[in-house]
Amino acid sequence: MNFLARLIRWLLPLLLAAGTAARAADTPREVIARAALAEDSATQRQLIGSLMGRGDDAIAPLFEAWRTDQLFIYAAPDGTKVPVQLTGPKDEAGTQAALRIDTGAALTGPSGPLRLNAADLTAVEHTAALRRAMKAVLDLADLAAPDPAKRVLAIQTIGLTQDVEKLPALQARTPLETDARAKAVLREAVALIQLKDEKNETRIAALTALKELHSLSTSDAIKRTLKEAEEARNLPVAAAAREALRAVENHRSFVDFFGTLFRGISLGSILLVAALGLAITFGLMRVINMAHGEMIAVGAYTTYLVQNIFGTGITIPFFGFSLGIPGLNFSGGVYQSYFLAALPCSFIAAALVGIGLERSVIRFLYRRPLESLLATWGVSLVLQQCFRLMFGANNVQVSSPVYLSGNWTVNDIIFGWNRVFVVGFAILIVFGMWLVLTKTSLGLLIRASMQNRTMASCMGVRTERVNMLTFGLGSGLAGLAGAFLSQIGNVGPSLGQGYIIDSFMVVVVGGVGSIGGTILSAFGIGGIDQVLQQYLPVIAPGLGWVPGIGGFLQNLAQDAAVFGKILVLAGIILFLQWRPAGLFVTRSRSLED
Amino acid sequence: MIKKITSLLGASALALGASLGSARAADTVKVGVLHSLSGTMAISETSLRDILLFTFDEINAKGGVLGKKIEPVVVDGASNWPLFAEKAKQLLEQDKVAVTFGCWTSVSRKSVLPVFEKNNGLLFYPVQYEGEEESQNVAYTAEAVNQQATPAVDYYLAEGKKKFYLLGSDYVYPQTTNLVLLEYLLSKGVKLENIGGGFRKDGSGKIISAGKYTPFGHTDYQQIVAEIKQFAASGDACVISTLNGDTNVPFFKEYAASGLTAEKCPVVSFSISEDEFRGLPAAQLVGQLGCWTYFQSINTPANKKFVSDFQAWLKKSNVPGLVKEGRVTCSPMVLSYVGVYLWKAAVEKAGSFDVDKVRAAWKSGISFDGPGGKVTTQKNMHLTKNVYIGETKADGQFKIVKSFNNVYGEPWLKGKFK
Repeated sequence: MNFLARLIRWLLPLLLAAGTAARAADTPREVIARAALAEDSATQRQLIGSLMGRGDDAIAPLFEAWRTDQLFIYAAPDGTKVPVQLTGPKDEAGTQAALRIDTGAALTGPSGPLRLNAADLTAVEHTAALRRAMKAVLDLADLAAPDPAKRVLAIQTIGLTQDVEKLPALQARTPLETDARAKAVLREAVALIQLKDEKNETRIAALTALKELHSLSTSDAIKRTLKEAEEARNLPVAAAAREALRAVENHRSFVDFFGTLFRGISLGSILLVAALGLAITFGLMRVINMAHGEMIAVGAYTTYLVQNIFGTGITIPFFGFSLGIPGLNFSGGVYQSYFLAALPCSFIAAALVGIGLERSVIRFLYRRPLESLLATWGVSLVLQQCFRLMFGANNVQVSSPVYLSGNWTVNDIIFGWNRVFVVGFAILIVFGMWLVLTKTSLGLLIRASMQNRTMASCMGVRTERVNMLTFGLGSGLAGLAGAFLSQIGNVGPSLGQGYIIDSFMVVVVGGVGSIGGTILSAFGIGGIDQVLQQYLPVIAPGLGWVPGIGGFLQNLAQDAAVFGKILVLAGIILFLQWRPAGLFVTRSRSLED
Repeated sequence: MIKKITSLLGASALALGASLGSARAADTVKVGVLHSLSGTMAISETSLRDILLFTFDEINAKGGVLGKKIEPVVVDGASNWPLFAEKAKQLLEQDKVAVTFGCWTSVSRKSVLPVFEKNNGLLFYPVQYEGEEESQNVAYTAEAVNQQATPAVDYYLAEGKKKFYLLGSDYVYPQTTNLVLLEYLLSKGVKLENIGGGFRKDGSGKIISAGKYTPFGHTDYQQIVAEIKQFAASGDACVISTLNGDTNVPFFKEYAASGLTAEKCPVVSFSISEDEFRGLPAAQLVGQLGCWTYFQSINTPANKKFVSDFQAWLKKSNVPGLVKEGRVTCSPMVLSYVGVYLWKAAVEKAGSFDVDKVRAAWKSGISFDGPGGKVTTQKNMHLTKNVYIGETKADGQFKIVKSFNNVYGEPWLKGKFK
């Protein structure tokens, strides 16, 4: 059955080629026009596939227009349908000049060139399969694209098909290629296709090349070759395949190791950013601040507001009133920069809310920490309900600016821009906070007041004011964290609830009152969590020997994300048994009362 | 397999006869609506309450059922599963409703099931579920696994996909669905090493769970996306996601940021419908797939009328707490709508509101032309209906790329594919 299916798949293009041979004189434009009019997607794919290898500058822009819904069908008054593309500037009625796809010339009616409105036309449909067919055509054309990144992608795609027919095109390209990365990928693609060769020498040479290149994408193909060779008792090829596979697997463990390291640092940065504010309000000021999560949410919602102000504006129902904020209607790069503007805004917004909270509630409770727990918890519920009233119970959408939604891939290790940004940002605010606390007079006053309020106030420090500013600073940092978390997770009324436990965990493990401890514990917890997620699936199958729970441990692979977290929490409980005051114990006379 | 189909015309002719006889009886019939209007599930379930109230108004405007106006009794399950059972008891024993439309999560359905069975009530359940259940007191208008998950796999196989990564939220629906999918994929010749996400085996080495699972509210998808990226590196891979609710946001953000696209490795999600896009960034999901028995973008006069009627109703309705802006229609909503009409047709065919008679009428095979095409009731309390696969567009709507007509709803799938 399988063989038959494969045979048909091989023969089909040939049959089709025969069918279309009569019309081989068709220009690519005519073929695309016919494909646009074709009713079923199979015919469309065949027509597009027939363009394979035909170098024509018209193909790529037309496919691009198709993919982006810019290819339209114009129904002429006489009932014929003509695929068209709209070009040139729009006039007052919204119409543009129309070009026929099949000829590239202007579409003419009885009274000269026609002008059409895109809104009146239906765009030609396209599906994933069709886009893939287009991509296969473009990939072959892209072998000679001026942009090396484009070439690399095209070569990789062709290589993975292991299609022997495409080998000549790749080999023809080999001497012309100048880019180092493209050269390597080209070698890999040629070797991948050569795995299908019948001669042993060619296959072994190909496997040797793949061993040198040790690319992750080749592992499946090597495994298939290994299996075939083993079944055919082809020992030399099997040995070469095993070697190549070992090289790939070595590379994979390298990638996993450094990938895990980076992911640990990035998770650690998120924990750190989320917990820094709490390290001040709880760590330094000893307010058990249950509303910390909602301060994060204030920052996230501020980011959402700034995004909308940069865009088309927003209307917020506000206790019965409707507050309309007009938008600035920016677009492009200016709109994308909304996030940079949102950073200071979210700091200020959360700081103001924090100062309000301090003035209205917390300043009466400095001597009664347990009551501050209840009061701030109440405040957190009130704030959550405010978010619901103002922004709705649903999550709101915060888009990621382009400069935060890509990645660098170095040696197969992914460095997401948003993650790199968080890491850099965490370093920056830790440094900033260190400057404020140790190098400014405000910092000196903060430290003095936090150590001993009564004594500081005797020395003439306006502790009331310092308390207010410190709480504002802590809340502002939480707001900054919110701006960041909006790029990574959800923004909704219960956003804060998800981070409050983690934040307290980080601060307590680090040692209450110690900023250095907070930093260390954030990275420690983040790193351990990622290591467990990565390596639990690797070590778990070998844990069957453990008496009693062996069977359970063996099956951890699947739920690594959950068990990683559970193990971290269990570890923290044990750690706190051993060191109840956390990593760094802050000692001072006043704190021991 | 195809059931005897009784046309709606016949049913309404019978109804006309019946309604003449009972026109002077009490002029309303009580109908229960049992959804969470508060708590975590409120976001989704409130939409179902809205569509049910709309449907009742539509039917009442045309004369009601058997000449009686529908009188909805709306109760709030509050996303609290034991409370669901209490509310169901109240509906059946105090209010004595003729039928109940309700529940979203499987756990809420399991919680009310004993109450409905004890009181011989009838519950219409409209949300895709894991199957392996067939109660005589539940009319499953919901998608069974073979009306959502397996057609999606068929589509992927036809597209030439060879590697499948299973990912889900950790609860009964994804676990059961993925286990069925595992059997289905193996029966289609996909090799075990080409199914990603991991397996859990019992003592004898039999696989008892397949796929990768994350808890509700999970936010850190770095490691899983890195794993998918390696899995997809050799091409022809796809992801089948049963992730629920807002965990989709961090997942898709991470997915996009890692450079994975719908063209390299598409994701089909079974829990994201048009309604969910009210809180999801659609731009990051463009090209990813959805699979349901209804899409708002279905281009038929029946659907266009349904959508515009609902919008018009939203404008003029004065139900307290009704969200009027940015509303869409989605599969669970349409299956609720269709459920009410099927119940009406069954009642009219039976000539009575009696649950046993209505059930018998349902089992005899009733058809209704709904917004998603024709649906037909089956003996096993499920529905035969059309299945659509759609690609996400930037506006949160789906473009239909494939449809399967008249798919028979089969709840018992475990061990069926060998």
